[in-house]
Amino acid sequence: MNLKLSMLTAVAATAALSCALPACADDEVWNNSFRLGAYSVFYHSKADDLSGPYVPAGVNFKAKDLETLYAGYVRRVSSAFDVELALGYPPLSKVEGRGPATLGSVPYNGQTVSSARWLSPTLLVEYKFLSDNSKWRPYIGVGVNYTNFYDRNNTAQGDAASGGPTRLSLTSSIGPAGTVGVGYNVSGHWHLYTSYSISRVNTTITADTAGVIRTTQIKFGPQAWVLSAGYSF
Amino acid sequence: MTKTLKFLGAALLATLAAACGTSTKTSTGSSSITPGTLALDPPFRIASLNAAALGAELGASAAGAELLLVAGAPACGVDFYYIKFWTVGGASEATESSGALMVPTGGAGCSGPRPVLLYAHATNPNQALNIADITDPTNTEGALIAAMFAAQGYIVVAPNYAGYDISTLGYHPFLNAAQQSGEMMNILSAARTALPHTMSAATTDSGQLFVTGYSEGGHVALATQRALQAAGATVTATAPMSGPYALEAFGDAIFYGQVDLESTVFAPLLTTSYQHAYQNVYAAPSDVYSPTYATGIDTLLPSTTPIDTIFSTGLLPETALFSSTTPVIPGQPALTAALAVPSDPTNPDTPLFAAGFGSPYLINNSYRVDYILDAVADPDGAVPMPTAGVPLAATAPTLGLRLDFYTNDLRNGDWAPAVPTLLCGGDRDPTVFFSVNTGTMAAFWSPQVAAGLITVLDVNAAPSGPFAQVQAGFIGSQAAQLAFYQSAEGGNLSLAAAEQQLVEGYHTAVAPFCSLAARSFFSTFVGAQQ
Repeated sequence: MNLKLSMLTAVAATAALSCALPACADDEVWNNSFRLGAYSVFYHSKADDLSGPYVPAGVNFKAKDLETLYAGYVRRVSSAFDVELALGYPPLSKVEGRGPATLGSVPYNGQTVSSARWLSPTLLVEYKFLSDNSKWRPYIGVGVNYTNFYDRNNTAQGDAASGGPTRLSLTSSIGPAGTVGVGYNVSGHWHLYTSYSISRVNTTITADTAGVIRTTQIKFGPQAWVLSAGYSF
Repeated sequence: MTKTLKFLGAALLATLAAACGTSTKTSTGSSSITPGTLALDPPFRIASLNAAALGAELGASAAGAELLLVAGAPACGVDFYYIKFWTVGGASEATESSGALMVPTGGAGCSGPRPVLLYAHATNPNQALNIADITDPTNTEGALIAAMFAAQGYIVVAPNYAGYDISTLGYHPFLNAAQQSGEMMNILSAARTALPHTMSAATTDSGQLFVTGYSEGGHVALATQRALQAAGATVTATAPMSGPYALEAFGDAIFYGQVDLESTVFAPLLTTSYQHAYQNVYAAPSDVYSPTYATGIDTLLPSTTPIDTIFSTGLLPETALFSSTTPVIPGQPALTAALAVPSDPTNPDTPLFAAGFGSPYLINNSYRVDYILDAVADPDGAVPMPTAGVPLAATAPTLGLRLDFYTNDLRNGDWAPAVPTLLCGGDRDPTVFFSVNTGTMAAFWSPQVAAGLITVLDVNAAPSGPFAQVQAGFIGSQAAQLAFYQSAEGGNLSLAAAEQQLVEGYHTAVAPFCSLAARSFFSTFVGAQQ
């Protein structure tokens, strides 16, 4: 939560500073834009029950929501179309155990059992409504998301539940993505944006604990609300 | 502008750099296959149960509830580790094997320095046996040792045996004293390596070592005691239980016609084991086995196919070890008569022995005759007629299988237990005869028995002495079981049928009571100076 607040503050401050800058011819057209802001990611994860040796029925997972830094590069294609490459600072996504309260006598349900960082760029083609000199420009976009997971770790609690130190591997994901948002021209080079995005991120998780292999498939279903400031040139 | 670009560039570089890193981890595999090497360190923990959860888990089944009545409520939690280690087969082939490391957890008496109990399991036809897997409801022996020993503060170490579970040996070195005692010492070494690296490291090895095992494991336990003693290793006390220790005598008794229960399972395990180790049992399985069963008998057991299916599909006879047609030994009518189907109405064991004859049968008459002629030429001191001191055959037998029995008979090796030893069993055991095995060893080591170093316990004897409660418990449980079989819930069996059921379950029924006696015996040494 603190991270979220600090990022929102940074975005507001960036927008406020922009008012003091001398630039700003409101009706100029810029072809490139960088955006910086904050992601709030809400997972709607659905996982198959974990399968493999020594796993009781009903062992499942849930990804915990998170906030992270958003960065994007936008290239104007025409008055109506942009192409956006959206990146987030790879967030540390935490996974909670869902299912039995305990595995044997080891607490499980609600425990943070593992974490992984996501490198998750999304390439979007966006259609902008209204004209270039409009103060507000709503837009919609579709594209593709690629997600690679790294820094995959079981927590101590996850290791205890798994039966020992565990190596996690997660397959990379490629899936469709969509966004809807609106931009506000603060002044000249500077804009504010807010958007809501959804993408499909599916992975197969393989856990190796001393040669004992367990697997599950998880659909993260991430949805992200973004607030950002953009500088165009 | 420039600052913004620099910041974004730095963020992207950080992102890409981070993506190259990884901090994943799991157990480390050993590159060494030296016997006794822990193959994966730390080992996998199958389950962690506190005392209450273990009690609840065991108490959830009728068999488990009965076990708790004998073993008592768990005093400790238990962490069940599945350890993999390197050992060798019967012909010194390197093989990975596996087993259990059960670590007690909890407060005083459950953690800190605790004694190690090395356990050898009974014959099991299931090749997939994993005695560490407490989650498997068919793993009754794993539950027994967990409840009886680990839950009372002993660090339990128990191999699955080569040829079982992950071992790719392809056969099991059944009743091979050198191999099995070596494997016991190998898993002990691996478990001691593993223990400090487990998630139960608050429990440590006190240095005290107890050795026990049941049935096949009784033989293994005594062989291990001999091997540890020869190696100069510390052994605190041992309790071999219901084991076929006097193998030559036991084999002779069976071939003379005292056929034991489950002998058709033991036979292929034995011949396969000894053929691999010594290559002297047969040129082809059909030298020993009848044509009905010879094909594939050398790879039949242990198996992932349930033993009942093996019987029902005709791969093995359920009880008919020998032919019901008596072999004729020319010029030896008395010996011929001795090989006839047992029919003495005054011997209560006659029905048991007679069930070992039939058609189709497992072992050829010609092979049985060869065996008996060898036994007659060079008799064992215990069978057919006991002689003073019940020594092994005077010279090494000529017939391969009988020589292998001689080699693995635990009277062999010019040794006697040097630490307190409890030999426990039940005198009516139809599977591993008490008198031929425990009785023979007690007679063979009569000086040690007289000196109190070896204690012989028959759980079926009239209650007396330090194990009176165990004896009373066993006798009471047998009476209760007999009544159960005659009740509506137990099938309304006639007395004769109920007694038959009791006989069939006798060997298994002795196990928890002898284990309880072993625990009681060991408890007198826990914490004492070596």
